[in-house]
Parts: sequence; structure tokens; C-alpha cells
Amino acid sequence: MNFLTRSKKLISVFKSSVLLDRTGVLRSVCSVPKARKGLCLPSLFTTHVPSCQHRRHVSTLNLDTKRLYSEICTESDESTKSTGVFREESQEMERDSSALNQRSPEKFTIDVLVSLLRQENAVDICVIKVPEQITYSEYFIVVSGVSPRHLRAMALYAIKVYKFLKKEGAPNVKIEGKDAEDWMCIDFGNMVVHFMLPESREVFELEKLWTLRKYDEQLKSMPTETLPEDFIYDGKVTK
Amino acid sequence: MALPLLSRSLAGLLVESSSITHQRTFSVSAVAAAIQKMTRVRVVDNSSLGNTPYHRAPRVIHVYTQNGIGKVGDKVLLAIKGQKKKALIVGHKMPGDRMTPRFDSNNVVLIEDNGNPTGTRIKVPIPTHLRKHEGEYSKVLAIASAFV
Repeated sequence: MNFLTRSKKLISVFKSSVLLDRTGVLRSVCSVPKARKGLCLPSLFTTHVPSCQHRRHVSTLNLDTKRLYSEICTESDESTKSTGVFREESQEMERDSSALNQRSPEKFTIDVLVSLLRQENAVDICVIKVPEQITYSEYFIVVSGVSPRHLRAMALYAIKVYKFLKKEGAPNVKIEGKDAEDWMCIDFGNMVVHFMLPESREVFELEKLWTLRKYDEQLKSMPTETLPEDFIYDGKVTK
Repeated sequence: MALPLLSRSLAGLLVESSSITHQRTFSVSAVAAAIQKMTRVRVVDNSSLGNTPYHRAPRVIHVYTQNGIGKVGDKVLLAIKGQKKKALIVGHKMPGDRMTPRFDSNNVVLIEDNGNPTGTRIKVPIPTHLRKHEGEYSKVLAIASAFV
């Protein structure tokens, strides 16, 4: 499957997820279909429009609040529907729905990133909005994968989409930790994504640290450092 | 450079700290260079290798830069508890660029060969200008609890 069709699918997944947000359904666990085998989400949208209101949907972020949204993506068996016919229908629907006209994502925002992670069957997507006081980034995302190859594929796909959507002057982004198979990161400036295997995720517990900040358990269990008895404080070293 | 000036002014100082009255009977010279071979460093993460006491302080045995001077963000090789371990410099006593923090100790975070940090948390403040450097620092910044 070449990249352009995948990105178009991603963009339409994004559109449909935005449309579902607009209908005001928020924040519960949903079974997100496998988006790779043809788009199930738009097909769901076209055939079950009234039932979408009842169908619960996971919302990734709320820009007003600084709360943690942790989502668990489960693979469902809804790809059993034949997708060929539905795909054309969905494209027509999108062309006709000028009232709900949302421009396709021109910027690589957090919505694009989370929808592409979902499309890649990422396990346990965790998006944390970092408070303003910490001048590190705005969003901190931790994602698990099934295997090291899965992590690498997700990371490379994220880089591809970023390159496709970025403006001319924006810097390129590199994958950190390419030779570590269990933990890779990408720093997009305003967002940081960490791809880890579930085992290393358990060891490091990054979500706990970034939500609880100084009340984290591992920090509390670290012994407080005291000065040794023979400590001598040096005078000021000024330039 | 201001370094010869500094060493001249601070050499031969007798320092008396406020809480513990100890008097030094030898002269102290200022920081000569950042982190190089044979400097003793302070491991600031919560790894067991860095925190268990040993009769020798961890020392730098190699600096992975072109010249042998290590600044913030450079990788070094340490000798800790009789074994070799790679580490990342996160702060040194030498004054750096303007508007970058200067630390009172040469701080170092232990790192594996693949770049993963050995410890899981860092209590000591980490400078945020690490982010702009070329290199793989996101993992260390992810386990840091305080930023400077």
C-alpha cells in the first residue's frame, strides 16, 4: 500500500473523527476498527449515522483542560463488512457534506498524530497535556507496540506523515533511539512521542511521572540527599 | 580568557562555611576546564550502580568528543565500582554560555550502550537547553522531574 493512499485514508479518518467530535459524543472507550484494511470508520459513519450518536468514541484531547486521557485501542471484528462499495460512498458523502466542511489537516497537529497512531494499531495511546510551567513541550505521548518492528514502523510512518504535512522552513525531525529496540522517541517541538514496549513502559512509568510530577512514587522512594559531614561550601565562582 | 584571572584570585583561599566550621589548610584552584579524563563526577539518577557506596568516586576515563573536553550533552565513559559505564553530562561547574545554568557539581546520568538511561528517575534539575543540542536527549528529559 503506497504512502499517498494511506495518508488520504488518514486524512479521512481524521475528518470523520473530527465530525464525530462535533456531534458532541465524548470520552469513553470505543472499539476502534482496524483502519488498515480499508476504512471502517467512514463506512461506519455512512451506514450508521444515527447510531453514531450512541456509539461511544474516544476523544483524544481537550485543549481547555490539562487532564490526562488514556485510551486503549482494541481491535474489533468490524472489518468483516465489505469495504469496497463503502469507500466510494464515503468519498461521495464527504464531497457532499459541505456544511460540515473541515479543511484537511495542513498542520501536523496532535489530532493528526493520534489518528495516525490509531491507524497503526498502537496499543495504549496515552496523551498528556503538559502544564505551561514546564517549558518542555505541550503534549507528551506514550505509545506501546506489539514488537520492536511494530514500534519502528509506527515511528517511521509518523516521520513520513510529518514530512508530508510540514511547511518548507520547518526543521526535520529525527527518531531518537534507533538502535534501542524497546524505546524510541520523536520530538516534534510542541509534541514528544515515546514508543516503548510494554515491559519498558512498566519499568519507567513515564505517564505516572508526567501526570504526578513531584508526587510520583518512584521519586518519593528515592532517598533524600543530605550533605556529607565534611562538606565545605566553595565561595562564589564568577566569570 | 578569564580562567587565569580566576585561578589567581581564588588560589590560596581559606574557606569557612557557615554551618560547619572546617578550615581548609590547602589552597583551592578554580575550575580549569569542564569535564575531562580523571574528573570525579556525581551520578544523579536513581540507578543502583550510581547510588551504592564505593570506596572510590566515579571517574571519567574517556570523553567522546573531538577534543577531550566534555560539556553538557556529551557522552563520557565512567569507571564506577570497578566497571565501565557510559554516561551523559547534564551539568558542570564550569560557566558555559550566557543564560545557561551552571551547577555546583559535575552531574552525570548513566546510560546504556543503546542510549537508554540506566536509572528511572532524576531528581536533580536538568538544563532545558539540552533539547536544542544535536543528540538523543529526549529519553533523559523524559525521566527528569525538574528542569532548569
